[in-house]
Amino acid sequence: MEDDESPITTLVAAAADGNARAWSEIVARYSPLLVGVIRRFRLSNAEVEDVAQTVWLRAVEHLAELREARAIPQWIIVTARREALRQVTMARRAQPHDPLDPGWSASLQTSVDPDDRLIYAERHDALLAGLAELPDRQRELILLLIANPPLTYEEIHRRTGIPIGSIGPTRKRALERLRRTEPIATHRDAGAEPVRSGGDRRDDATLG
Amino acid sequence: MMTRRWDEDEELLDDLAAAMRDVDPTAQRVAAAAEGLYSWRTVDQELFLASLSFDSSAHATSPVRGDAGDARVLVFDAAPLSVELEVTADRITGQIIPPSPGEIVVEAESGPPVRLTADEHGFFVVTGLPTGRIRVRCDTTTSRVVTDWVVL
Repeated sequence: MEDDESPITTLVAAAADGNARAWSEIVARYSPLLVGVIRRFRLSNAEVEDVAQTVWLRAVEHLAELREARAIPQWIIVTARREALRQVTMARRAQPHDPLDPGWSASLQTSVDPDDRLIYAERHDALLAGLAELPDRQRELILLLIANPPLTYEEIHRRTGIPIGSIGPTRKRALERLRRTEPIATHRDAGAEPVRSGGDRRDDATLG
Repeated sequence: MMTRRWDEDEELLDDLAAAMRDVDPTAQRVAAAAEGLYSWRTVDQELFLASLSFDSSAHATSPVRGDAGDARVLVFDAAPLSVELEVTADRITGQIIPPSPGEIVVEAESGPPVRLTADEHGFFVVTGLPTGRIRVRCDTTTSRVVTDWVVL
């Protein structure tokens, strides 16, 4: 029976409690999201990795605040933006800049949602945050399915033990589970058109 | 950026592959390097974490650090006290607020910690600038505080 529970809350609690392996699992799951957010700022590869380390170093001390699973991607995205911006600003201040250069102003952008809720407007953020919270086997399978160069089902069976005939159904279940994660469900809803039914349609003629 | 519904499995997998392609192999290197950061975790239940609440370098109009007379100001807040740091090219001038004497330890990611004492006004000076990430511990008679890590 496939375990459908997200392991994140348990992992964070364990890491806050002294479990180093839980910490390793957390950074493995969330580093793709972290790097994706930082990359949007104009930084060198070395700077990207450095900013990422700063964020993880902060996270180590703030684990107690991240007990709720949905808090983690929000915290990572907000902290990563702040630290990346700090890095960009410090680097730029040492050189003359042209305020009309679109790259300069783009690097200063920090869009913070006015409601203080994080809307996964960025498609890749939603995907990587959703993937990060999948149960172990489902996440592992999806990572193998999107590997480059592609793996055969035979190879996937070898690595995961999933019978070849079960890979298709497991894949389907994993993707359905992925759609139900909060980041991806939120992103899908953000793009949804408002529903208008025939019975209660209002038009200009009926408005006061 | 337009949103997607990802109703089709293939579309969802394709987009996932693109998202991972954008961040690999950097993400793997970051995760591997981050494992070792766990040893910096503070286990002390009575230690307060002072969060970075203000950083003058975050504002683009601030003076460039290193020019004579110009300083970068960092403020860390915890429940019992705040720590303010003024960073110039060759030193860090710090103060415990509200003013109080205390034992100070400046920890850098690599290299030995620097120990000093804050005077009765809470002032302390670190001569010589550590490079990279540092954090500052303050022990006063009434409380123990450690700041967030910050990049100098």
